[in-house]
Amino acid sequence: MQILKKTNLKALEKAIKIGPQETIKILETKGLTGRGGAGFPTAKKWLFALNSQSDEKFVICNADEGEPGTFKDKFIIENNPETLVEGILIAATTISAKKAFIYLRGEYSHLEPKLKKAIKLVTQKSKAGIEIELVIGAGAYICGEETALIESIEGNRGQPHYQPPYPVVKGLWDKPTIVNNVETLTCAAQAILFDDWNTYLRLFSVSGNVTKPGVYELPFNVKLSEIMKLAQPKNKVKAVYFGCYGGCMPYKDIELTPENVCGESCIHGSCSIIVVDETNSILDLSYVVSKFFAYESCGKCTPCREGTIRALMIVRKIRSGQATEEDLKILQELGEHIGQTSLCGLGKSATNHLLTSLKHFRHDFEERLR
Amino acid sequence: MKIKLDNKEIECGQDKTLLEICLQNGIKIPTLCYQESLKPEARCRVCLVEMDGKLVTACSTYPKEGCSIITESEKVMKARRMNIELIMAGHVKTCSLNVSSNQLCTILEQIGLTGIRFDPIRDYEEDLGSAVIREDNKCINCGRCVKTCADIQAVYAIDFANRGFNEHVAPYCEHKLSDVACIKCGQCILHCPVGAIREREHLYEVIKSLKDKRKKVIVQTAPSIRVTLGEEFGMPPGSLVTGKMVAALRKCGFDKVFDVDLGADMTIMEEASEFLSRVKKNGPFPMITTCCPGWILMMEHFYHELIDNDNMSTCKSPHEMLGMLTKTYYAKKQGINPKDIVVVSIMPCTAKKFESTRPEMKSGVNYVLTTRECAKLINHFKIDFKNLPDEDFDPSLGISTGAGVIFGATGGVMEAALRTAYEFGTGEELKKIEFHEIRGMNGIKEGSVSIKGKTIKFAAAHGGANARKLMEMRKNYHFIEIMACPGGCIGGGGQPPHSTLETLKKRAEAIYSADKSLKLRKSHENPIVKQIYKEFLGEPLGKKSEKILHVRYFKKSQF
Repeated sequence: MQILKKTNLKALEKAIKIGPQETIKILETKGLTGRGGAGFPTAKKWLFALNSQSDEKFVICNADEGEPGTFKDKFIIENNPETLVEGILIAATTISAKKAFIYLRGEYSHLEPKLKKAIKLVTQKSKAGIEIELVIGAGAYICGEETALIESIEGNRGQPHYQPPYPVVKGLWDKPTIVNNVETLTCAAQAILFDDWNTYLRLFSVSGNVTKPGVYELPFNVKLSEIMKLAQPKNKVKAVYFGCYGGCMPYKDIELTPENVCGESCIHGSCSIIVVDETNSILDLSYVVSKFFAYESCGKCTPCREGTIRALMIVRKIRSGQATEEDLKILQELGEHIGQTSLCGLGKSATNHLLTSLKHFRHDFEERLR
Repeated sequence: MKIKLDNKEIECGQDKTLLEICLQNGIKIPTLCYQESLKPEARCRVCLVEMDGKLVTACSTYPKEGCSIITESEKVMKARRMNIELIMAGHVKTCSLNVSSNQLCTILEQIGLTGIRFDPIRDYEEDLGSAVIREDNKCINCGRCVKTCADIQAVYAIDFANRGFNEHVAPYCEHKLSDVACIKCGQCILHCPVGAIREREHLYEVIKSLKDKRKKVIVQTAPSIRVTLGEEFGMPPGSLVTGKMVAALRKCGFDKVFDVDLGADMTIMEEASEFLSRVKKNGPFPMITTCCPGWILMMEHFYHELIDNDNMSTCKSPHEMLGMLTKTYYAKKQGINPKDIVVVSIMPCTAKKFESTRPEMKSGVNYVLTTRECAKLINHFKIDFKNLPDEDFDPSLGISTGAGVIFGATGGVMEAALRTAYEFGTGEELKKIEFHEIRGMNGIKEGSVSIKGKTIKFAAAHGGANARKLMEMRKNYHFIEIMACPGGCIGGGGQPPHSTLETLKKRAEAIYSADKSLKLRKSHENPIVKQIYKEFLGEPLGKKSEKILHVRYFKKSQF
């Protein structure tokens, strides 16, 4: 696997030798984009932070991998933490930050010793004089959102705030800050060192009704049938969920290009595939996912705080057979409303799953109406 | 830059938010969580507008060159309506509050919400504090009280607890408000758009006393009430309504109407004497005023070293002094049993409600009403406030000086004390009696004056956050005045709500013009003050005044 290739501090050496501008140029030509889900060009982000004037800058590695059905970052931390740490050091030297943070998901605290060992090993060997601090989250999904993550490191309530100002201008303690995903930073180190590094190879987290769940490295526009061949579903596949926030679509053998996925009103940014077979009702899944979003809403803005719980209550009503056509209409309206008017990414995508299941699997809902 | 606002091309600055731009162009946009002077949080999502086809919150979005803003499209109205519906569903269904100052009610009228399709889900207990009452069932989580408490007052008594739909405003560790380090300033009340926080009302008790024929009910009004009460009856900010206020209170049935300004003059006599005795003894400095009960609570909770070092003045606040004098001096003179006197203070303040229940205060005041409650009382008796003829305070304890009046604005206590301390200390007449350096709305103001060759450095701060800043550098000063509310008492937690900096400035102007219009402007020139010392107290800081006009405070927990 490409992601497991070790760089052994050579990438950092190269980055220091060629300087920040050249380093960023390499990332730009290699076409590295954010792997956390949004897909923002990494070179651009680093350039913004480099150009922000400040006495102090920070780098944060976002290892708060909270998305249900996503576990690629865990895979990297388990198998190639040294390259990850090197990637952080490269980012820090590029924007001349003296301190970096790794924000590790609370549920991953068992990875702490391994990660700490790698941090100690690589930072000492590198002699770059950059300190890396490991911060462990307390289990909130919202803290994967970069502004909420920053608040959490500062010791405040983990709630997002609006952008701009973007973290690259005003981030941690109001200083320019790069927030990058684990996979992005690891890839950055590899992209700088290896000439044959391929930006199209992605880590897919495959789970659900399959016999061989796990992390697969595949081209990002792989056909869904290829994934199924590897993961071996138990029964006939009914639908796939792209994580929870990405929504769901009926199983079709399509290439996972952004256009194709968007055509089904889904997002597949972090490449997580949850396979659902014929034995499951989409309504039941909607209930579970709605519960997840209502529970994980931070409570800051009205549509998400009040809306997600109302959506959950309606789905529950439908499941109990008490709902009418009117409720379905309200659900649709709520779904659109929460997506359009919420403050952060969580709220904006909290009802994607509802809207897509109402679009593709309306029958599952309607058969339970009164 | 040029943008299109509702299809009209306009010129606007880059550093203005869409909300400010709309306001400048005469377009009103409903808001709930937005609060002038604080960084917008964009929580309530009611101020939605359409920017290039996308819904954005006007309070937190800056325009882009050439963008097109639409403020009232069907899409915008639908989204606003939905958010209001969601808010209303969380808000208590039986909310009886329907007053014009309630922002949510105003928005409801404008937005045309036809019905609420969701059932109530929350049920919290009321938090009945001794001065401030919180009703979580009315709360809509806009966060203005939390931000006010943290950013303006720097008290941090309340914050959000829990997450998602369980998120609600709560004091530390979800205790009751009276069990935590809350200074009861009531600023949260002023900023609540839905009336979920209010003062503990004493209207019922006061009306009951008024009906009791055996009781002599005496009312006393604070310096700042005369410049704010008019606002409750639709008059512009800064209207001086002293005469109407006295007339209205008499009409309500109070036997006597006294002026707390006289209490303020008494406070100055004691405080100036205390300060001069410290100058003689060379310390302890700085001496800090204790007129503001909010600040006293803040000191008791967070600044224990001020008690250890004896920095606090021992003087009671003006209305407590006057209350005591009413029940001792006045009662004796008139031959009334003090037990038959009910003293009601009209105060701009919620912390005063707590102050009068302090055991160490042995307070002479029975009930404290806020300005808002006073207006309610006047409305209760169906009095046409605006058209009342002016009347004067009862002269027995109702003659006051300009020094007493300016207590109502930040820096006023300091100015009044300096006027007297200078003349007491030097024995000369103070020529320039206005201390302009200590006036105005700057957070911290300072100046110096020379008394008998000694330079006295003084400073005044208003608002909790500024008080904290001034406390950091208190060692530089001899005399410090602190008011817990922004603007001083004119911006107090019991005043008419939703005051902007402009209204505060207008109220302060009215206070200073009232001072200027008076012949007597120094506390020690007040004939009644002289009379009280001659007939009753003896001298400032004497044995009798120590007993009834002074008090000492205790340390309280920081949490």
